[in-house]
Amino acid sequence: MRNPINKRILRDLAKEWKRYVVLFLLMSFMIGTASGMYVANGSMLKAFDDSYDKYNLEDGHLEFKEEPTEELLAAMPGNINLYEQFYKEVSEVSDGNDSAAVRVFKIREDLNIACVIEGRLPEGTGEIAIDRMHADNNGISIGDTITVNGTGLQVVGFIALPDYSTLFKKNSDIMFNAIDFDVALVTDDAWEELPGNVKYQYAFRYDTAPASVYEEKEWGDDLMEKIAVIAATGGYTDDKDVAEELADNVDEWTSTLENMDENTSFEDISEAIDNLESLEPYEDNTNELIDFLPGYANQAIHFAPEDFGSDVAIMGVLVYVFIAVLAFVFAITTSNTIVKEAAVIGTLRATGYTRGELTVYYMMMPVIITLLSAVTGNVLGYTIFKDAVVSMYYNSYSLPTYETVWNAEAFIKTTLIPLVLMFIINLFIIVKKMRLSPLKFLRRDLSSSKRKKAVRLPRIKFFSRFRLRILLQNLGSYFVLFFGIAFVMLLLSFSIGLPETLDHYKHVMTEELISEYQYILMDYEDEDGNVITTDNGDAEKFSMNTLETIDGVHVGEGITIYGIEDDSKYVKADLPEDGVLVSSAYALKFMLHEGDTITLKEKYSDKTYSFVVRGIYKYMGGLSVFMRNDDFNECFDLDDDSFTGFLSSGKIDDIDEDLIYTIVTREDIMALSIQIDHSMGDYMDYVSFACLIIGILVIYLLTKIIIEKNAASISMVKVLGYENREINSLYVNLTTAIVVICAIATSLLSVLGLTAIFSVIMYTMSGWFEVYVSFISILKMIGILLISYFIVSFFDIMRIKKIPLTDALKNVE
Amino acid sequence: MSEKELQEFLNVCNVWKGFGEGDSRQEVLRGMDFQVRKGEFCVLLGPSGSGKSTLLNIIGGIDSADDGYISIAGDKLRDMDEKMLTRYRRKHLGYVFQLYNLIPNLNVKENIEVGAYLSDDPLDIDELLNTLGLWEHRYKLPNQLSGGQQQRTSIGRAIVKNPDILLCDEPTGALDYNTSKEILKLIEDVNQKYGNTIIMVTHNNAIQDMADHVIKLRDGKVRKNIINENKISATELDW
Repeated sequence: MRNPINKRILRDLAKEWKRYVVLFLLMSFMIGTASGMYVANGSMLKAFDDSYDKYNLEDGHLEFKEEPTEELLAAMPGNINLYEQFYKEVSEVSDGNDSAAVRVFKIREDLNIACVIEGRLPEGTGEIAIDRMHADNNGISIGDTITVNGTGLQVVGFIALPDYSTLFKKNSDIMFNAIDFDVALVTDDAWEELPGNVKYQYAFRYDTAPASVYEEKEWGDDLMEKIAVIAATGGYTDDKDVAEELADNVDEWTSTLENMDENTSFEDISEAIDNLESLEPYEDNTNELIDFLPGYANQAIHFAPEDFGSDVAIMGVLVYVFIAVLAFVFAITTSNTIVKEAAVIGTLRATGYTRGELTVYYMMMPVIITLLSAVTGNVLGYTIFKDAVVSMYYNSYSLPTYETVWNAEAFIKTTLIPLVLMFIINLFIIVKKMRLSPLKFLRRDLSSSKRKKAVRLPRIKFFSRFRLRILLQNLGSYFVLFFGIAFVMLLLSFSIGLPETLDHYKHVMTEELISEYQYILMDYEDEDGNVITTDNGDAEKFSMNTLETIDGVHVGEGITIYGIEDDSKYVKADLPEDGVLVSSAYALKFMLHEGDTITLKEKYSDKTYSFVVRGIYKYMGGLSVFMRNDDFNECFDLDDDSFTGFLSSGKIDDIDEDLIYTIVTREDIMALSIQIDHSMGDYMDYVSFACLIIGILVIYLLTKIIIEKNAASISMVKVLGYENREINSLYVNLTTAIVVICAIATSLLSVLGLTAIFSVIMYTMSGWFEVYVSFISILKMIGILLISYFIVSFFDIMRIKKIPLTDALKNVE
Repeated sequence: MSEKELQEFLNVCNVWKGFGEGDSRQEVLRGMDFQVRKGEFCVLLGPSGSGKSTLLNIIGGIDSADDGYISIAGDKLRDMDEKMLTRYRRKHLGYVFQLYNLIPNLNVKENIEVGAYLSDDPLDIDELLNTLGLWEHRYKLPNQLSGGQQQRTSIGRAIVKNPDILLCDEPTGALDYNTSKEILKLIEDVNQKYGNTIIMVTHNNAIQDMADHVIKLRDGKVRKNIINENKISATELDW
C-alpha cells in the first residue's frame, strides 16, 4: 500500500499554488539561464576546438622585420611548417563611422582558413570580406563599399578568422576592439594593389602536435629562441651559444682587420678575412624576429573561450547562491507547515509513523518543484536561453558557426547540484525539526530553544515592544529575508555598478591620458643614420619597452616601461634618479608601495630587470613604470640619444609613414571600456529589470511566510479589537523597517562583493581598473529594491486583511 | 497468552514522573500501580492535574517514566529504544485525541487509510466506514464534517489497524452531550466487536459507569481501583 499521506502532495500544491508557481518560475529562470550559458558555452567551445582541424588553426605565428629570403626560410627548424600570412595594416572608412584599422590578408588556403558567416569570399580585385563582428558593430552590410587606405572595396562577405575569434589588435592590449579594428581578406591581386606597409607574418604548425600544454609551451620557448637566432645569423645556426661565440669571433676578426699593424701576422689577417668571407652568404639573409606568438599565448585565439569559462563560473556561483536562498525559503515554508501541523504530526508519530516516513513526505514538495524547475529550466536552457547567450557571445566575438551539443556539465551543475543543494538544506532543517518527540508535537512545543523565559526587553512603548517580540519570534525568516535581499542587491550592483564602472573608467582615462597620440618609430634614426625629428611643437620624445611580471597576482602580465624626458608636459611628475614611479593601476593590482623592489623579465628571454619603486604616478590607463629617459637607455643598454617615438597631443604630419611602426591613439587605450560597454551595456538594463522582478518574487515569498506564520497572532489581535491600521503598523511596518535596513546594509555589502568578484576577474586578465559605484547608484539600487518591496507590501496588507478572526481559535488546545 | 498474561496485559508498576527542576519540580505521578486485562475497557478518571494524560502518554510510549515501568504483554517499555517504541506504537497502539488531529486535506476515507497503512492486516475500510456511520461522508474533507463526525474519523483511523490497545485522551472533551454519547457508544461497540483493550482518560465521572475497570487518580496516585461488575451501555449514560 502506498503511503496515503503522500496523496496530500497534489492538494498541497493546489492550495499553495501561488507560492509554488513563484518558486518554480524563479528556479526555472535561474536554472534555465545557467543551463543556457553552459550549453551555449559548451557548444561554442566545441566549435572552437573543432576549428583547429576544420579551419586548420595555427600553432602560432611570427613576424620578421623584413621579408625573409628563401635561404632563411629554408633554414627554419624542421619540426614546423611555415605559412606565409603577410598583411597590410591600413585605415578603413565606412559610412557614418570613424576610421578604423584593418589588417588585410590574402585569402588563406592552407592555414587559419576563414569561416564564411554570410556572403562569400572575394573573387575580384574590387571586393573584400570583413570580420562579421566588426561589420555588426559598425553597421556595415554586404554590398556596402568601404574605403581601405583610399581604395574603395565592396564588401561581399562576412567572415570569422579562427586566429581572430577575438579582435585583439595587439596581444598586449588590455581588451579586444571589434569597433575600431577589423581583419579582412582580399584576393592576391587586390592585396598586391593595396597601398600600405607589408607586415611579414608567418603562421606555423608543428609537424606533430605537442602532447600537452606544458610541452607546447616548452616547444614554443625553444622555437622562439631558435628562430630568433636563425634570423639574426641569417640561417648560420639555430644555437644561441654558437651564435654568441660567432658574434664574439666576428668582433675579434673585425677588430683584427680594423686594428692591424706591422705586428699583426699575415695568417691572422688571412684567417679573419676568410672567416668573414665565409659568413658573407649568410649576411644577406639576416633578419630580425620582431614578434613571436605561440598559439597558447594568443589572446585573439584564447580570450573568447576563456571568457566563456569565466562567465559560466560566475553564473554557476550565482545559481548556487540563489538555489540556496530558495532552499531556505522552502525549508522555512516547510518548517512553518510543520509547526502548523504539529498536532497532526504528533498524532501520526504517536500512532506509529516513523520520522523517516514523515520526513519523506515533507521532502517531496521541494524535491518535486526543484525537479520540475530543473526539467523546465533545461528545456529553456537548450532553447531560448541558449540562443540569448549565443547571441551575446556573437555580439562580442568573431566566432565561427556552431551546433548545439548535449552538455553533461550543464546537467550536473544546473540539475543535479541544485537538486542536491535543495535536498540537503531541506533535509537538514526537516530532520532537525522531526527530531522532536511526538509529545512535543502534540503539545505544539516545537521550540528547540532551552530558554524558559522570554527575552527581557527594555522599557519602551508597548507597540515597539510588540514589534520587537514579532522580530524575535521570526528571526529565522528575517535572516533568510536578509540573504534574499543581499542576493538581489548583488545582481543589482552588477547591473548598475558595471556600466557605471565603465563610464567612470572612461572618464578617468580621458582625464589621465598620457597623450592623445603615441608615435612608435621603427627606429630613432632613419636609413641614413639621421635622428628622426619633428617640427610639431607638442611632440616630446619618449621611450617605451614591454617587460613581463614574474610574480604577484598575475605572472606574465605585460608592463609598459616608459622613459620620459625631464620636465615632461605629458607625465607631470618628478622622476626619481634612483628608482622608478609605477602607475596607480600597477600599484593597485600588484599591491605595490613606495620602497618595494619589482623584478620584471624580457618577454622572449630570461633577462630580468629590477627597479625600486619610489612613488606612485596617478595613471589608471595601464600597468606602467615611469623612469627618466636617460635611465631607460642605460637600463636597456641603448644609445644615449636613443628613444622609441613621440608623445603628442596632436597629429604629427612630418614623419615619413615608413618610419612609423605604429600609432597608439586614445581609441586604442579606451578600447577596453568601449568594447565592454558595447558588449554588455544593452544587457544591463534587462538585468536591472530582471532584478526588479526577482526582487518582487523573493520578497513576496519571504513576507508571505512571515505573515502566514503569524496568522494566528494576527487573527487574535483582530479578535481583541485591533484595527487593520494598527495591525499593519505592527507587522507590515516592522517588515518595512527591516527591508529598509537590509537594503541599506546589503547595498554596501553587495558593492564590496562586486569589488571582490571584479578584482578576482581582473587578476586573471591583463590590465586593471576598479569597481566604481557612486552614492547615487547605491540609492538607485536601494530604490529598485524598495519599489519591489512596496509592490509586495500592498499584497501583504491585503493578505493581512483577509486573515479570518476564527484563525485565532483554530486547533488551539 | 496465559491467564496471568491476560490478567496483567498492561502492567503499570510504581511509575513516577515529574516535571521541572530544583524548587520548581513537580511530581505528577507518584508511584502509580495497576494492571489492565486484555480486552478490558478501562477508564482513568480524575480532575485536571491528576496525571491521567501524563500516564496515558507513558503507556503510549510517547513519554517516559522517571522511575518504575510499564509492560505490555510482558514487554517493558523502558527497555525499548526509540525505534522499538515506534514499532510498538505502530503495531499495538491506536490513539484518539480530544481535538481529532485529522489531516486537513485528506478526506474521511483517506484519513482512515493513514491508519490502515501502518498495519499488515488492517480492517476492511469500507466495512469500518459503515460501522462508524461515515459511509456517506467518506469523500468529505475534515472541515466539511461536524465535530462528532471528525471524532468518528479519528477513531476509525486509530482502530483500522486493529490495535491491541486503543488509547483515548478525553475523546468527548470537545463534543456536546448527544455527540459525546454517540462517540462513547462507538468506542463501546469497537471494544466489543474487535476486542481491543481500551484505556480512556476522562474527567467525566459519568463515563465510569460504562467501563469494565475504573482507576481514579488524584495528585498523581491511584486513589481507587475499581472493577465495575455492573457496567451499563453508553446509551444509558447520563450527566
